[in-house]
Amino acid sequence: MMDQERIRNFSIIAHIDHGKSTLADRLLEQTGTLTDREMMDQVLDSMDLEREKGVTIKASAVRMAYRGEGGQEYVLNLIDTPGHVDFTYEVSRALEACEGALLVVDASQGVQAQTLANLYLALDADLTIVPIINKIDLPSARPEEVAQEVEDLLGIPAEEAIYTSAKEGTGAEAVLRAVVERIPAPRGQGDAPLRALIFDSHYDPYKGVIAYVRVVDGDLRLDEQLLLMSNRQPVDPLEIGVFRPGMKPTDRLGAGEVGYVATGLKTLQDCRVGDTLTVKANPAQQLLPGYRPAKPMVFAGLYPADGEDYELLRDALAKLQLNDASLVYEPETSQALGFGFRCGFLGLFHMDIIQERLEREYDLDVVFTSPSVEYQVLKTDGQVVAIDNPAKLPPEQEIDQIEEPWMQIQVFTPAEYIGPVMDLVTKRRGEVTKMEYLDAQRVLLAYEIPLSEIVVDFYDHLKSRTRGYASLDYSPADYRPGDLVKLEVLVGGQPVDALSIIVHREHAFLKGQKLVSKMREVIPRQMFDVAIQAAQGNRVISRATVKALRKDVLSKCYGGDVTRKRKLLEKQKAGKKRMRKVGQVEIPQEAFLSVLRLGDE
Amino acid sequence: MPLIEADPAAGLYIHIPFCRAKCTYCDFNSFAGLEPLYGEYVRAVAQELESGPRAELRTVYIGGGTPTVLPLSDLSHLLEAARRGRPLPPGTEVTIEANPGTVDGAVLDGLLSLGVNRLSLGIQSFDDEELQLLGRIHTAAEALAAFQAARDAGLQNISLDLIFGLPGQDLDAWRASLDRALDLGPEHLSLYALSVEPGTRLAASIRQGELPRPDPDLAADMYELAEEACAAAGYQHYEISNWARQDGLRCEHNLIYWRNEAYVGVGAGAHSWARGQRWANVASPSAYVALISRGESPLASSEAIPPELEMGETMMMGLRLLDEGVPFERFRRRFGSDLRQRYAAEIDELDQLGLVEVDEERLRLAPRGRLLANQVFYRFLPL
Repeated sequence: MMDQERIRNFSIIAHIDHGKSTLADRLLEQTGTLTDREMMDQVLDSMDLEREKGVTIKASAVRMAYRGEGGQEYVLNLIDTPGHVDFTYEVSRALEACEGALLVVDASQGVQAQTLANLYLALDADLTIVPIINKIDLPSARPEEVAQEVEDLLGIPAEEAIYTSAKEGTGAEAVLRAVVERIPAPRGQGDAPLRALIFDSHYDPYKGVIAYVRVVDGDLRLDEQLLLMSNRQPVDPLEIGVFRPGMKPTDRLGAGEVGYVATGLKTLQDCRVGDTLTVKANPAQQLLPGYRPAKPMVFAGLYPADGEDYELLRDALAKLQLNDASLVYEPETSQALGFGFRCGFLGLFHMDIIQERLEREYDLDVVFTSPSVEYQVLKTDGQVVAIDNPAKLPPEQEIDQIEEPWMQIQVFTPAEYIGPVMDLVTKRRGEVTKMEYLDAQRVLLAYEIPLSEIVVDFYDHLKSRTRGYASLDYSPADYRPGDLVKLEVLVGGQPVDALSIIVHREHAFLKGQKLVSKMREVIPRQMFDVAIQAAQGNRVISRATVKALRKDVLSKCYGGDVTRKRKLLEKQKAGKKRMRKVGQVEIPQEAFLSVLRLGDE
Repeated sequence: MPLIEADPAAGLYIHIPFCRAKCTYCDFNSFAGLEPLYGEYVRAVAQELESGPRAELRTVYIGGGTPTVLPLSDLSHLLEAARRGRPLPPGTEVTIEANPGTVDGAVLDGLLSLGVNRLSLGIQSFDDEELQLLGRIHTAAEALAAFQAARDAGLQNISLDLIFGLPGQDLDAWRASLDRALDLGPEHLSLYALSVEPGTRLAASIRQGELPRPDPDLAADMYELAEEACAAAGYQHYEISNWARQDGLRCEHNLIYWRNEAYVGVGAGAHSWARGQRWANVASPSAYVALISRGESPLASSEAIPPELEMGETMMMGLRLLDEGVPFERFRRRFGSDLRQRYAAEIDELDQLGLVEVDEERLRLAPRGRLLANQVFYRFLPL
């Protein structure tokens, strides 16, 4: 049994691009966990997409052996955390598995919104923080100032900060020494009933769900039947082991240790992050604190651009879900777009990532309807219904009140961009709660804002208004009543389900106008005039007409080339077959797609 | 040409893929600058004709391109080869297409003596600016002169082609060209809406914004104007784009296409249809010459047309004929089934849209269907 005194469990907190992965690589090298030949760049980020986006999507863990001063052997478990704001809960569980965290800050850029957000999570989890000022090799580095910034924020004396250049390999030994010296050893109860925290998981086609665990109390053994405490799901472990960094089987994990359990379970949904594993025969009394079922925040309809790809999309979503428990979906049918899926995402970045993975890894052309949030609708009969699809909003006269989710957002920005940021946020119904100068140049702006106002391209606008300098973090606040209305687009008097949105009353007119003019451009002329309207409730607020088609006839057939003429007509007929009917109006699916794909502004 | 054998009578099309200059809107199989190939090409076509079996000709149509870029002797050679062993009953329509810039009195006299009895003149417009925009090699005055020369030579069946819906053309300009054509009193008129084909110089000019994109609604107005003007001048509107002074002056050769009856094309890129097969020769004139001179087949593609498709093609082509339409009895004799039953659903829908008319004898386009004929045609194609 591993002596807890010889164990250190820690993670790395950093903003995107501040060098987390490179530092992790250096630590692995320094401890000989990987030989040079095995060393691949940025081992912890295994997916291409992560590498390209510079974000870590899946957490991971690795066990290192470190010989400290005086020859003492230590086991260091580095637990990686997902690197973006939609995964706050997952990050919090990974941090919960640690006693300490390295706070990596770029020596030229200083603390960013995301750093701070994760730092707060780490402080919530009572972690010991070791500040690392990285990238000191850069000409623009100002390590002392940044160390001072950290001191101002955290109260950790600037002189305790460790200066590193992960790229050049300097400072790695100092970091390891600090891990051993400053971060406390685990203090679990080795003789208590088993409680192991699941802080991550992945799906393995042969061994089922692999749960990443931190043993808090007791002993995790291969020969005992286990139990997932939240859902009473029994688990017969197929294998337990540690990450070095590949999976290496052992027969037991003691208190304080980090490793994995191959559960044989078929879906990640059965084995949730944050859940507690115990021994079935001698179960613990209480779950480890903080467990929360995954709760999607943002919803959208996903439709294959080519209806024939429906099955492919279904299979792709199923495969993505195997490794992403937070992705939820169910079949949905749209009159306009055909067969697809209603999907729930943790947040807007999560949605982007799914979209990109569907395109890149599965080569699918997928249309996302306008993302929606989940509204709480209080009906006049006293019922409360949750609505995540605007098309399903009850009729206006049955609605007493609509509540929408609000978020707290934090923006770190150079002071010169305060104006543009303010403007963006207030246009989107945001309210300032705090404005704080971190130094003469940098400001922390805190707002409350409806989630619906930031799900569509808010981040892009924030970035472009601040020349890429602002960073953003957000977290849920509460539900608040809003003056919200459903905006429908009607074609030939029939509502087009896929284009319905819920908007603030004051935005309805402008949005309606935009949708109508976009639709008018893309709907082909029919055999009759087609009215396109935007309606708020029963009131038409904008309209346009697609005039009837007057001329559609092929001219001369030169030299008897009937085949060419026929092929043109066949193409026309095939196109017509693919059209969706809204009432009597035939609309090519591409028309809906181009309306949905046109950005918001 | 084994097919003329099986269908004792067929229309014959001879393709001349040469022009003095390529018109800006043209995407047909025709080329400028191939003068050195003329001789070989004529020999090759003659050889294709010679090697074919003998059968009666219902019509002869020499089209292009511009057939009249060839010297009279070449045209004579081709017509001789066509007639060798193939009966050409007296009065059989023999048409040649001509560009006004390529004919004079001598040529026209010669054509008449070769047995040509119908001239299709590609006038396109009587406005010099429009002619220039189209890349035509002639002026309006030359077009008038060519027509007069044809009359003087004794041609009694002259057809004029005009194009409407040109970039920048307004209703008045169209009316002016049309009136001048009607004033000439041709036996036949073909009035085509300009279609901007990808890959043409015209399409490039429009794409680059040098010329305005033609407005299809204006073209529709022009078409309706033409319908009125031609009717007032006493012409029968017998096909979507074609008018004739009287029944006997309709284009017999094109009627074969529209009735989906047998025809054989010779020359580069020429199309044929007989005995349930459609086939086409290679489009490139030089490739065509090379194949023929090596004694090989110039065939580029062929397609068996199953009965259901033949029915659809018969509808698609036949409905272009405005008064004739598709007669039920003819359809029944050809396919053994009743058109009204076979296409009950399609006819019902089209009738409700006001695009077709049904009477005791036939199905045809309603006046509203003339400008929307594609909406009618595609419904009859199997897919």
